[in-house]
Amino acid sequence: MLEALHLSKRHASLPAAQDVCFTLRPGQVLGCLGPNGSGKSTTVKMLTGLLEPTRGEVLFNGQNIRDNLAAYRKRLGYVPEEAHLYPYLTGWEYLELIGTLRGIPRAELEKKIDSLLSLFSLHPHRHASIGTYSKGMRQRILLIAALMDNPDIFIFDEPLSGLDVTSALIFKNLVQALGQQGKLVFYCSHVLEVVEKVCSDVLILRKGVVIAQDSVANIGQILGQSLENTFLHLVDDVDTLSVAREIVSVMQAA
Amino acid sequence: MISVAIRRAWADHRQRPFWRMVQLFVDRIFRGGGDSDTEGLDLGVGLVLTLLAMPGGFVSILLFDKYGTFLQWLRGATNVDPLAMALPDEYFFLVLSMTVTAAVAVWRWDAIFPDRRDYMNLVPLPISTRTIFFANLVAVLFLVGLIAIDVNAASCILFPVVVGATQSKFLFFAKFALVHAVGVVLASVFAFFAVFSIMGLLMAALPSRAFKRFSAYIRGVVVVYLVTLLCTSFAVPDAIRRAKGTIPAWAYFMPSCWFLGLCQSLRGRAGPVLMGLSRLALPAVAAVVGIALCAYAVGYQRHFVRIAEIADTTATARNPRTWRLRIPLDRWVLRTPLQRGCFRFVCRTLLRSEGHRLVLTAIGGLSLVLASQALMDAFENAKSWRQAALSPDALSIPFILSFLVTVGLRLVFEIPVELRSNWIFQLMLDRDGEECEPLARKVILIFVLPWLLAIAFPVYVYLEGWRVAALHTLLVTTWTVLLTNIVLIRFRKLPCTCTLPLFKQHSFVTLLSVCFGFLLYAVSTPEFESSALARPARMLSLIPIAAVAWYIPHRLAKSTIDIERKLIFEESPAPTFELLRLGDYGR
Repeated sequence: MLEALHLSKRHASLPAAQDVCFTLRPGQVLGCLGPNGSGKSTTVKMLTGLLEPTRGEVLFNGQNIRDNLAAYRKRLGYVPEEAHLYPYLTGWEYLELIGTLRGIPRAELEKKIDSLLSLFSLHPHRHASIGTYSKGMRQRILLIAALMDNPDIFIFDEPLSGLDVTSALIFKNLVQALGQQGKLVFYCSHVLEVVEKVCSDVLILRKGVVIAQDSVANIGQILGQSLENTFLHLVDDVDTLSVAREIVSVMQAA
Repeated sequence: MISVAIRRAWADHRQRPFWRMVQLFVDRIFRGGGDSDTEGLDLGVGLVLTLLAMPGGFVSILLFDKYGTFLQWLRGATNVDPLAMALPDEYFFLVLSMTVTAAVAVWRWDAIFPDRRDYMNLVPLPISTRTIFFANLVAVLFLVGLIAIDVNAASCILFPVVVGATQSKFLFFAKFALVHAVGVVLASVFAFFAVFSIMGLLMAALPSRAFKRFSAYIRGVVVVYLVTLLCTSFAVPDAIRRAKGTIPAWAYFMPSCWFLGLCQSLRGRAGPVLMGLSRLALPAVAAVVGIALCAYAVGYQRHFVRIAEIADTTATARNPRTWRLRIPLDRWVLRTPLQRGCFRFVCRTLLRSEGHRLVLTAIGGLSLVLASQALMDAFENAKSWRQAALSPDALSIPFILSFLVTVGLRLVFEIPVELRSNWIFQLMLDRDGEECEPLARKVILIFVLPWLLAIAFPVYVYLEGWRVAALHTLLVTTWTVLLTNIVLIRFRKLPCTCTLPLFKQHSFVTLLSVCFGFLLYAVSTPEFESSALARPARMLSLIPIAAVAWYIPHRLAKSTIDIERKLIFEESPAPTFELLRLGDYGR
């Protein structure tokens, strides 16, 4: 079980996250929604141990993750928002590097890399340098790197960015399958439909504060609307239609 | 056998996370670095090492002429002391070794230290940040060793062979080679760690953003210093020989002199000056290594470990300042919207992109060194300011500056900024429009002429009067415009948007042409001008030369076929070799 207990983070006295609390149980797929600057990335970085909270702690099976970060990270698969890969390595070399650093035995590693590359349709490009890969291909490499060591916790930060339709469908099914396998999945996204479809529960952040947390079905029922409308209602008090009209009028202005 | 055993041992080692990370860091120092997600210029480790080793080898071979006994006999030189004769050459090798090694450290500045990419890829893995620190440190130490050996390998063998050619004893060769190797390798190590400690101290002292901003300027200063060291290498050994008893103050600021002192004292040939300087060499090496390691550790803790915190802080952007010259420039010089937009893009690239700034700084540094030498020569042979101002040396200063900046800008135009961003120009620019060459010309002239005219014209008005000032300024301006026309022959791309061209066979011809052009432009022209200013009618004889220089590019532009005028957007380098696929013709 992964618990975020009163997580707060301040950057130069500005609060990025305030008193974020939630629990992630085995088999649960928790979606995290929020507009830009709502504290999603900060929360993700605190969960992965990249950022130390100003206050609060992250517990994994009752133990603070910072007590033994290396052991925690061994059980963590993380797909970051931006695919900052080494452009001069080939896809195969990159995965071999990550596998070696994760301590996966050589024979097992090679088999896994080959199988996962085939399943993600990257096998023909495995010896091309990552610099030549499209955004979607890089994203698939990141997904393979996260899955390779069969971790218990998955943290996905905008994992569908750049993926083609087939890969995105495979991934959505994969997330559900991971949940069914008893893995813990924390899923950050802007795409409400995907969160609605793949997540069992949802956490909505606004200005660093959790403003709603419940199952997807319950959140919709509270206001009797779709997740999209609920999200807009809770997060952005913006009349999207009038903003769109204003944009057109600015475009047409002399 | 040994290589197989080493390979097998390495294959075992690289299965361990620590050594796999060391390999990753060594790779990224040679091939990666920077923020770009696309592949940069990847020459390959082998080619880089060969290029670094070449200068030492070439210079040693060129010295055969100086040390050959037959040639010495023909020159009438008998009873030559090879050790005394080798002093200036040894100094040059020390400077070369330091310059090349420090240049590598400056060039790979961004890749030596682990960055955001390493953070995002390595820190979420089950590895401690301390392990990453030590892996990178081992990679840096390996790199220093490799470069120090590679840069000096050729000179450590060939130079002693050349110097010892007249000696029958093998012991002479062995002693000379050993001392030379110690000197140049230590000089290399010193140079690398000196740059590394400057970088480390800045990282330890400055906040992340300030470091990024200052880093380019500091690298520029280091480059200028290296150019100065190289350009003065011919004069320094004589100056040291002339210094009797006391160490000249300037020698304390030239570490190459300390290592020359070390070599000479190890051979037992050092006078009091070199002996004094030699005492600085070893403590200096120990000091820079110590400072570099401490500063690196502090910088690592402050910058790398806190990357996630730094990236999460919102940037406070400064309000852009409006440039007052923008309005007249737009009205009189940049007449079309395309020229205005692209001019600002090119200028911002030249002033903000780190790679472009670095090359421009190196060119600026070389220009300043040559201009200062010319100024010193002008005053050395003159009795008054007025006489000095009319000497060929003083007159050559604006020619030197305009030549190097013009050719330098033309070179910098070839360096691409982020290639994947050029889609905007591909979308907007008319490929048949032929506006890029005039734009490039305007950029060069705006970068060169205002500064030259603002300084050279008033100085000559004050010293020599209106007539000389006007003639000199007119000549410099005309020559700059003609040179710009020549360097832009068949230029048909927007500056900084295409792939860096490969070094081809004709590049040697281009390089030789630039050297020859420099002699004509910045040496012969001022010499002629110096004599012609006394009798201005002689200036008229330059008109046919100017006419030819104007006519050739004009004629070439006219004879170009339509397809060669089209604007190009190369995004991938031309292949080094291509298959002829002769079999395809038979099908």
